[in-house]
Amino acid sequence: MFNINSDSINTLFQKVRKLLFSNLFNTVLSLVILLIISLVFFNIYKWFSLNSSWEVVTTNLPLYAFGSFPTDQQWRPATWMICLLFISLLTLFGPKWKWLRKNLLLAWIITIPLGLYLLYGGFGLSPIMSRQWGGLTLTLLLTIFSALLSLPLGIILALCRQSSLPLIQKSSSIYIDVMRAIPLISVLFFGQLLIPLFLPVGIEIDRVWRAIFAFTLFLSAYIAEDLRGGLQSIPNTQIESANSLGLNQVQIIRFILVPQALRIALPSLTNQAIGLFQNTSLMAILGLVELLGVGRSILANPEFIGQYIEVYVWLASVYWMVCTIMAVLARHLEQRMTINKTNFQKL
Amino acid sequence: MKPVLIAKNLIKSYTKGSRALDNVSLELNQGRVLVVMGPSGSGKSTLIRTFNGLENFDKGELNVLGIKIDSTHDEQKIQRIRKRVGMVFQQFNLFPHLSILENITLAPIHVQKRRKIDAEEYGMYLLNQMGIDSHARKYPSQLSGGEQQRVAIARALALKPELLLFDEPTSALDPERINEVLDAMRRLAEQGMTMVVVTHEIGFAKEVSDQVLFMDSGKVIETSTPDIFFSNAKHERSRKFLNQLDKY
Repeated sequence: MFNINSDSINTLFQKVRKLLFSNLFNTVLSLVILLIISLVFFNIYKWFSLNSSWEVVTTNLPLYAFGSFPTDQQWRPATWMICLLFISLLTLFGPKWKWLRKNLLLAWIITIPLGLYLLYGGFGLSPIMSRQWGGLTLTLLLTIFSALLSLPLGIILALCRQSSLPLIQKSSSIYIDVMRAIPLISVLFFGQLLIPLFLPVGIEIDRVWRAIFAFTLFLSAYIAEDLRGGLQSIPNTQIESANSLGLNQVQIIRFILVPQALRIALPSLTNQAIGLFQNTSLMAILGLVELLGVGRSILANPEFIGQYIEVYVWLASVYWMVCTIMAVLARHLEQRMTINKTNFQKL
Repeated sequence: MKPVLIAKNLIKSYTKGSRALDNVSLELNQGRVLVVMGPSGSGKSTLIRTFNGLENFDKGELNVLGIKIDSTHDEQKIQRIRKRVGMVFQQFNLFPHLSILENITLAPIHVQKRRKIDAEEYGMYLLNQMGIDSHARKYPSQLSGGEQQRVAIARALALKPELLLFDEPTSALDPERINEVLDAMRRLAEQGMTMVVVTHEIGFAKEVSDQVLFMDSGKVIETSTPDIFFSNAKHERSRKFLNQLDKY
């Protein structure tokens, strides 16, 4: 027993020596890198244990989560977010019962009206204006609704871009090109400042929805391009065999083209969703108090003045956590959905 | 005997001026099997693809199951033909994102508006006939080439077609997988299915077909019964082609 141990330690030692200290130059390089790493870690540790004070985070947790949602009603967004988290965990680690797997999609869909109902109120809950929404709740709401609205719009744009009718084809490709040439922040400005000017007097769309529409307009152009790639990689023989079965144009799009294009584009759609989640933080500049906006308003409070690092480290870790959950969920979906490439034989 | 398929003087030219189809005429009666042979590029695939409107033609007339189409390529008529004519391709062309059973029931449910339960029941019956009912819940990529092609045949049969078109159904298969597909086709012929088969399988043509049509560079060189064609072909070109096939 002892012998094996000392042997394995010996080989490990030799491996390390071979990898890091094989000659003078490598030895110097390894030592310098080790020094830098330990310095960084030491300083971070020192800051964490001595100089940082996390009261700015711990005392304001409800603010980060719900913004200025009335305190006695905060159970509503909390319920929604716990539902989302629970269904995520169930999707990832839940048992593989057939009925559960079948109904998970339904559960995901139900979270959307449920979220709206819990936030807006009505039907027995006291109504709450959207200007009181905030924090992580608002960030999630912006992400989920923009993503949901831009997906169908993106599909329509991608299909129009493939259309044989020149007017439809041209106008959708102009739309896509223009949207991709404008920075997101200016589209968001447009949504917040100009849309109210264009609308007739008396009609008012509230700020949250204006932001969601702006995100949707922007994101759908990118989604359309991702899907176009998917559509183009579907071999023509798929359409031929669908044709020979008597399916009409609409049925071919619905049952053959769109499902396959979505599966092929899934990795890049995931990217877009994660990018969207992070981009919602731009709304902090435009006056919505989402996660980053809450952080900024807390920093403006004289009580916590100057505690930038704590607040931003905390915010970064929250963004990181949600993004990781999204990425893991997407990978799970990919594994279930990807089509085996070998099945597309050469044309 | 009722003719199922009549082609009169079909002409299709490519832009360069060479003809894919050069005055092709043929007639096929119900319950008969027509085998189309010829070297590659002879237009046999183009010909079979005109029968369900996948390929247009420039002149001539086509009568499929009593529905007449001409060079105007009337979409509605073609749609009506496609609902009654099944087709099997060289590369199977199954839908990779659908399970085997979904591949088969897609058209019956959405084209013929049959109830899902009925379509699935009939689909399982067809898979059973093809000897692959144990794969119903799998996806195309999990099946071998021969199995995929039998699924493709079942998919074509699901619409209860009155005419079946086979475009080189065994050319993409491993040699040891060819027979399982040919056997399935043989059984269909025995059951009285009207079929047009583009193939190089001489054994199958000799045994199953009622008519052999030999094409070269868009023209019909010879139409005979298999007895005459394989033992005593009239034309020099056909004999040369058969000699070459024998070598392999």
